[in-house]
Amino acid sequence: MSDDHEQTTDGGGVGGPPSLPLMPKPADASRSVTRAGASDPASRVSVVDEAPPRPAPPDGASDDEYRWHSYKVYPSGRPDAVEFVDTYKAFGRSQILRGLNMGLPEGMVSMILGPSGTGKSVCIKHMVGLLYPDRGDILVHGESVPNMRDDDLFEMRKKFGLLFQDGALFGSMNLFDNVAFPLRQHTEKSQDEIEETVMRRLNEVGLGDARLKMPNELSGGMRKRAGFARALVLEPDILLFDEPDSGLDPVRTALLGELILEIHRDMMDEAKAKQKEHLPTFCVITHDIMSARRVADYITVLWKGRLVEAGPAEDMLNSENPFIRQFLSGESQGPLTMD
Amino acid sequence: MNELISTPRGWLDSFGEMTKFGGRMIADIVTLRVFKFFGEALRQAGILIVSSTLVIFGLVFIIGSECGIEGGYFTYGEGAPAYSGVFAAWCDLRELVPLVFGYMMAAKVGTGIVAELGSMRISDEIDALEVMGISGMRFLCATRLLAAMMVLPFIYLASIGAGFFASYLAVVQELGYVSSGGFLLIFWQFQNPTDVLFSLIKAMAMAFVIVIVGCYYGYNASGGPVGVGTATAKSMVVNLVSVHLIGMLGTQLFWGANPRAPIGG
Repeated sequence: MSDDHEQTTDGGGVGGPPSLPLMPKPADASRSVTRAGASDPASRVSVVDEAPPRPAPPDGASDDEYRWHSYKVYPSGRPDAVEFVDTYKAFGRSQILRGLNMGLPEGMVSMILGPSGTGKSVCIKHMVGLLYPDRGDILVHGESVPNMRDDDLFEMRKKFGLLFQDGALFGSMNLFDNVAFPLRQHTEKSQDEIEETVMRRLNEVGLGDARLKMPNELSGGMRKRAGFARALVLEPDILLFDEPDSGLDPVRTALLGELILEIHRDMMDEAKAKQKEHLPTFCVITHDIMSARRVADYITVLWKGRLVEAGPAEDMLNSENPFIRQFLSGESQGPLTMD
Repeated sequence: MNELISTPRGWLDSFGEMTKFGGRMIADIVTLRVFKFFGEALRQAGILIVSSTLVIFGLVFIIGSECGIEGGYFTYGEGAPAYSGVFAAWCDLRELVPLVFGYMMAAKVGTGIVAELGSMRISDEIDALEVMGISGMRFLCATRLLAAMMVLPFIYLASIGAGFFASYLAVVQELGYVSSGGFLLIFWQFQNPTDVLFSLIKAMAMAFVIVIVGCYYGYNASGGPVGVGTATAKSMVVNLVSVHLIGMLGTQLFWGANPRAPIGG
């Protein structure tokens, strides 16, 4: 868990439908602050010092449906690496994101939690520009992703590493070539340098001996670890994990969680030593509450296309919001039902 | 009534999307951006040569021999077996070799592209490419089109040779209706290099469309393995219709007003 939380708020105690919740900053204000502060990370630090009015529910939804959304954001003390500003996205008649405001603080391992179908994976695809919002904005280090030209978007994506659910390894290449692929495409490194970097990453994830295997010869867990190695190889500023624990047994899930923490720690040390402009930001999407408890520095809970509550892990684990309590304890009784 | 209108409207929509998609692929080649991935284009060219050449030659050889036999019988029945070379020259060069080349391209190359790209799409491999900052369209589609442009003209010209050779064998060696010299005299009288060029243009237009259609359906596949299967079937239908349309338009354009033959006044 991170102990870098420079600011805390009382969060306005919540027990049931909050009357005057602390709110994420309004969309327009957020956008202007963020863009203006692109060169000054300190100005992008979320500071919640007032309680704006509770937003209206999305079109077609009632207040009652969103009564558990406190919209409370406990400050992390860090600027946001990625911000969603009043984002809407629909697929046909399915409204997935319905006015989402959230941020992923820099230098932390953030977890996005929420019931199935609430738009978590859709969020990841918006961050890297694989999907565009119908309305609203997504900012990465202060720059608007939907407004980027194609070439800028491809350049911006080099900041990201993404671990897909099944690893998304290229079926026509062996493990070594899969991990070496981004280096060959984006760097001028010699074959020896590529070999050294790739083997270092493969050894980190415990796959050094499997370098010549094809993806179809690997187990699900090995494919995930290989995808992890490939996502790391360009040393991205932001690493996204789309349900890294799906299909893994509990021990492997715990080991993968430890690996994520260990690599985040190493990357933080390296970034600080090199005085990088941006600290490494990890974002994990998961349903596994144990992983959230073990790995997360910062937790964001989404439901029905909006943020319910977000904040540093210890604040969230002690939240009094019944929905958050139910979800983080995995109980069957509470606001969340099968409906 | 609505059904009657919406179906052709859907076809028009798809045609528009496909044209836009093909335009982007061509733009990547014209602006030379695809040459960043020239290695991948060479790899695709190698795959085309190794996996498609023999099967195209084989099919064209069969069609060439059929043209020769049917032409031989017909001219023999009319009392002019010496003219069986006309069939070999026209049937092979102008019509059947381009068509058979198109069929094999659609069946082997087109469906192969849809299946490969479709599988990559549903297993998130294309998204993985994009997230690495690599244009999937450029890396996967434009390189395949460039590879086709580099390799297929030579494969096609060689396959014309296979068709001619088969017709020669059928008429001269198998049926024996005409001597070798007699066959070749008429055979060369009824074609010239411009006809070969026109035939090449027809076949390359087919190949061009087949690669674009294959890339379009594969790149935009969705709905899991069933979706990839559906996309493959759709691409085959579109490609077969396109092959015949291009064949017909090519014949009308190149030989419709002028037979380009030493006959008549």
